[in-house]
Amino acid sequence: MDAPAKDAPLVELRNISVSFGGIKAVDDVTVDLYPGEVVGLLGHNGAGKSTLIKVLSGAYRRDAGQIFINGKEVHINNPRDAKNLGIETIYQALALADNVDAAANLYLGRELKTSWGLLDDAAMEAEARRVMGRLNPNFKRFKEPAKSLSGGQRQSVAIARAILFNAKILIMDEPTAALGPQETQMVAELIHELKRQGLGIFLIDHDIHSVMKLCDRASVMKNGQLVGTVNVGEVSDDDILGMIILGKKPAKAA
Amino acid sequence: MFKTILLASVAVASLFTAADSAFAKGKTIAVSWKTFQEERWKTDEAAIKAVVEAAGDKYISTDAQGSAQKQAADIDSLISQKVDVIMVVAFDSDAILPSIKAINDAGIKAIAYDVQFEDPNALYITFDNVGVGRLMGKTMLASGKKAGNFAFIKGDKGDPNATFLFQGITEVLKPQMDAGKIKVACETFTDGWKPDGAQKEMEQCLTANNNKIDAVISENDGMASGVVAALTAQGLAGQVPVTGQDGDKAALNRVALGTQLVSVWKDSRALGKVAAEAAVALADGTKIDKVKGVTKFANGKNKVEMNAILLTPDPITKANLDDVIKAGWITKAEACAGVKAGTVAACK
Amino acid sequence: MATEGETKPEPARREGLFRTFLNATELDIRILGMVGALLVIWCGFDIYSGIGREGEGTGLLGGFFLTPRNLWTLLVQTTPIAVMTTGMVLVIVMRQIDLSVGSMLSMLAVTGAVVQVFILGPSLGVGHPVIWVAGVVTCLVAGTLVGIFNGVLTAYLQIPAFIVTLGGLIAYSGIAFLLASGVTIAPMDKTFDVFGGGIPESWIGPFWSWMLGAAACALIIYALYNGRQKRRKFKFPLRPMWAEVTLGAIGAVAVLGTTWVVNSYPWPFNLIKQYAEANNVTIPDGVENTDGNAICMSAGDVVRCTDGLIYYTGYAVPVLIALVVGAAMTFLSSRTKFGRYIFAIGGNPEAAELAGINTKWVTVKVFALMGFLVGLSSIIASARLDAATNALGQSNELYVIAAAVIGGTSLAGGVGTVYGAILGALTMQSIQSGMQLLNLPAAFQNIVVGTVLVIAVFVDQLYRRRVK
Repeated sequence: MDAPAKDAPLVELRNISVSFGGIKAVDDVTVDLYPGEVVGLLGHNGAGKSTLIKVLSGAYRRDAGQIFINGKEVHINNPRDAKNLGIETIYQALALADNVDAAANLYLGRELKTSWGLLDDAAMEAEARRVMGRLNPNFKRFKEPAKSLSGGQRQSVAIARAILFNAKILIMDEPTAALGPQETQMVAELIHELKRQGLGIFLIDHDIHSVMKLCDRASVMKNGQLVGTVNVGEVSDDDILGMIILGKKPAKAA
Repeated sequence: MFKTILLASVAVASLFTAADSAFAKGKTIAVSWKTFQEERWKTDEAAIKAVVEAAGDKYISTDAQGSAQKQAADIDSLISQKVDVIMVVAFDSDAILPSIKAINDAGIKAIAYDVQFEDPNALYITFDNVGVGRLMGKTMLASGKKAGNFAFIKGDKGDPNATFLFQGITEVLKPQMDAGKIKVACETFTDGWKPDGAQKEMEQCLTANNNKIDAVISENDGMASGVVAALTAQGLAGQVPVTGQDGDKAALNRVALGTQLVSVWKDSRALGKVAAEAAVALADGTKIDKVKGVTKFANGKNKVEMNAILLTPDPITKANLDDVIKAGWITKAEACAGVKAGTVAACK
Repeated sequence: MATEGETKPEPARREGLFRTFLNATELDIRILGMVGALLVIWCGFDIYSGIGREGEGTGLLGGFFLTPRNLWTLLVQTTPIAVMTTGMVLVIVMRQIDLSVGSMLSMLAVTGAVVQVFILGPSLGVGHPVIWVAGVVTCLVAGTLVGIFNGVLTAYLQIPAFIVTLGGLIAYSGIAFLLASGVTIAPMDKTFDVFGGGIPESWIGPFWSWMLGAAACALIIYALYNGRQKRRKFKFPLRPMWAEVTLGAIGAVAVLGTTWVVNSYPWPFNLIKQYAEANNVTIPDGVENTDGNAICMSAGDVVRCTDGLIYYTGYAVPVLIALVVGAAMTFLSSRTKFGRYIFAIGGNPEAAELAGINTKWVTVKVFALMGFLVGLSSIIASARLDAATNALGQSNELYVIAAAVIGGTSLAGGVGTVYGAILGALTMQSIQSGMQLLNLPAAFQNIVVGTVLVIAVFVDQLYRRRVK
């Protein structure tokens, strides 16, 4: 793995602020992410985690702050910019186009084309079958519009979409929220696999246990501000709970 | 007591007007136009202005820009300017009534120009729409088509004019119809007087009758263009006479080409001239029922009896095509485009 | 599951033959339903128009509807709406609406006519080839520009399309009125009129009609073959062979049947006569027969006969344009990225935006395409009428939207097909033409068309709910 040196973060969000009509949803937050690392973002609803991450994925524009990818400052103004930088996002709201099938959703915005410049639906379906076969071997409903799929099936389509394009940076917004235990386990394994491949992953989750299990570090937010970032191996569940609820960083953590 | 004073003041006022009329100068004739978006109103205005100014009176006008509210405000301002006669081209013939009452109350004379509003004190000046229909029927009979399958392409079902026209048409054709000589092969209203609608209707009429149509009464020139297009596609244009009205340039050209029999023409300059003369006369104190050409008219929506001047329109055929050219309504080049030399007198 | 070879629909026996047929051919049941309804309407009108006039009608069932002439006319009458509705489907699928198409048609038709009749006609001389080209280009370019304008206001200034195009509906008709100063502008250039289908020059004749029909059949067979090859290449389940053959046969019968119908419509008697006289064609001698469609010489007169000089119309140019537009728009909506994006935006605008689609630009392009199609339609409509007025095309937006909706387009967005909309337009025009043929009052026609619209949507909803 030709990962850059540990001292050059894959992503650095520096002093990011976003406000909506005078309310600071994100207030001067700085977080970073290294290759092959999973960083959990924790906090109550409205703590600003999703807003922060949407700045990186291009859905929101920041009001202040800088974004660095591999140490270079970048400007992300829309989802296309983010995708061009290798940033893929799996949204909490399961952003699929409901009326087109799995393959069309997988390739939405980056369709495969024939030499005539036309949609190569067959090639897309074949590729979709391959990727989905790896991810969710039980998935068979390739011809049906996304709206007829179950929550887990939709989630696997969304994840497949992210990994299909060799993302370097993956943002997962509560990827297991709509899933049963078996599918949750599948996602966990997938995260480990992607991590091995050197991807950097931001994982937003409510569930402390899954964060403790999956993440290397955790950044906790409260009221739009960063409470602190800790190495998961060095703190207990209670420490993190304290950060979320009280907004206090445990003394022993780095 | 109060009544006597009022009567006296009216008498005095009329005395003054009578005195003024000796000089016939310095009166103000106002027109409240409903809109200037349609070009024809400019033609009317020029004709009115010419007559008014030639009589030594003053012409002023307002443009309601297609709004009933604006028109009410316009009329209020004209009343406060103490004009002598107000001609109104009503945007909405019902909503205008309170304004007309205000005009009457102020002792000003009101004229309903081209668009009727039903106020017994006003003078209504327009073309005789039933007469247009009669002319269509008469011209058709005069052309020699006195029997056979007739198609009637009527205007919009919501427009009272479409019914007035048809009333005039059937009035003239009735004897032939009753005698079984004229058969109604098709009869239909056309949404919005649309020419493409008329074209489809004519196509279906021809299909349903295996092309056995002898004459087409179309209620205006726009629809006649659709009718002629449908006849052309069957090679029948020029063989089946078609009526129309409005004096559309394209229609007058078809009259010259022989694909349309007649376009009944309502010369808005004649309308403007007659109305302006009536206005000048009213301003000079002439009683409303003594104005030249006034008859009684009670054929409106609510059958209110009014004094009216109904002008007779001109049926323009090949024979009198020269009239419209001489009147400057259309140039000879426009009327005669594509006409074979020697076929039409006016195009020589 | 992705086994090589043909699928065996296991529950087939239980679901019945029809279901097996649908599954295997992947035909859309709603489209089949619409075609069925259309055939019922046609037969009904034919029977009804023949009642009381036995022996007069030459239709299939003794009336006046199912005759080559009426069906040919029906196709031509449908074209202006059909062309526009193919664009409207995409607009509605994208959760937008365009209420301005009727007024836009008036405006464009009048603009094209002004260019031909007032500007170029007098300076270049009537019949100059630049005139018709300029007329066509003006309508298409102006249409596209107006569409872009609608699209930019909607997408970039975020004014709802309903408002933008409602404004357009009002404003464009005003512009049309000003340009035409309220009168009919005519006649159009004679070459321009070829687009209208009303003159013999715009009828391509039986030979070319058969050729085009054959080419279309070849295309259908190629498409089926190509599809099968692709499925095989990627090892997807194949349709059973009988289903492929059935699909090919349905396509070929539709194409060749339509061609046969238009090739059976003879030129009107007078036009054959005029053509023969103008081109010095010898008219053969023959026995007069007033029911005949050919012309003969009999005792020095040109008369109708059964065995003489006869020409057949074949496809009219506007119908060909509509067919090509229909095919191109189907292709665009199903085989290109642009089409995929339109559907994705309609399904979930937010997801489409997050997937990196430039939804605003796609919106502008869809409105531009709509404008282009309105321009094309304005050419057909004004050429067909051989005139343009500000009344031409007004309130067409209602018919265009109704055709799309009758054809299965959902106003909620995301769902709709181009061919469904064209069928919708044909259905509506069939009802109107049929009732005109019966000489029913205009008010009655409006009532029926309105009722059909509501029933069609109701049946569609019922179907969708059951499928869910």
